[in-house]
Amino acid sequence: MNLLEFDETNFVFELGKREKRLLLEVLKLYPLIPSTYHKPSKSLDETEVAATQKLLQEALAERKQESKKQLQSMLNEVSRFKETKSGYRFILSPQQADWLLEVINDIRVGSWILLGQPDEKQGTTFDLTETNARYLWAMEVCGYFQFALLKAFELRSSG
Amino acid sequence: MAETAEPLVLPDIGHEEETSPKDSLEPGYLVICWDDPVNLMDYVTHVFQTVFGWNKPKAEFHMLQVHNQGKSVLTRESLEKAEHYVHQLQKYSLHATMERD
Repeated sequence: MNLLEFDETNFVFELGKREKRLLLEVLKLYPLIPSTYHKPSKSLDETEVAATQKLLQEALAERKQESKKQLQSMLNEVSRFKETKSGYRFILSPQQADWLLEVINDIRVGSWILLGQPDEKQGTTFDLTETNARYLWAMEVCGYFQFALLKAFELRSSG
Repeated sequence: MAETAEPLVLPDIGHEEETSPKDSLEPGYLVICWDDPVNLMDYVTHVFQTVFGWNKPKAEFHMLQVHNQGKSVLTRESLEKAEHYVHQLQKYSLHATMERD
């Protein structure tokens, strides 16, 4: 996925046919982070932050439900992917690109959680199985699309 | 020209009960981002720029602090604002919490 051009209102990416299939396939996994994963605090007493925790979880759940709908509607828009000889022109506004980064990162982090939160620094690894292999694949695919979107923001901010 | 009608409901001038405790308005809460092995460094920088409106050098400084020292104190706020920022950062799937200063 390469950035072809951008202006104030849009990023235009070049997306190969295989890349489009990969993107659509990985987006089917959204959302992946369990609603109980995020905690509001490490040190504050649980009873003290119970209300905050409930509010944060509700807000995140609502946001993800909305994003899921938005994702379906965005991917079904005919004008979103314009077919070319070699693939597609994929058009996103900066707000949509930022939102897509958020969605893709949910899948990446959620996949990592489902793999048991492996951490090289801590020496914790995971056993690759037929069941969890798709999450390792999803992490890599998400990273690939994140790099492309972040590079677009970088180019835009440097003019 | 239409006339201005007399208000039918008079404003309630009773004293409202205070709804927020004093300490929820004081900047005694730290918003902290913790290191994890999954969020990409450039993504973390992007999120800090988006959520706090920081320029790139400031966002990168905090991202590197998270990466090298395990955590970075991003801001010191009232309880309500700290909750807001933690929610924004968690929305982007960063490992963020608020702690009392």
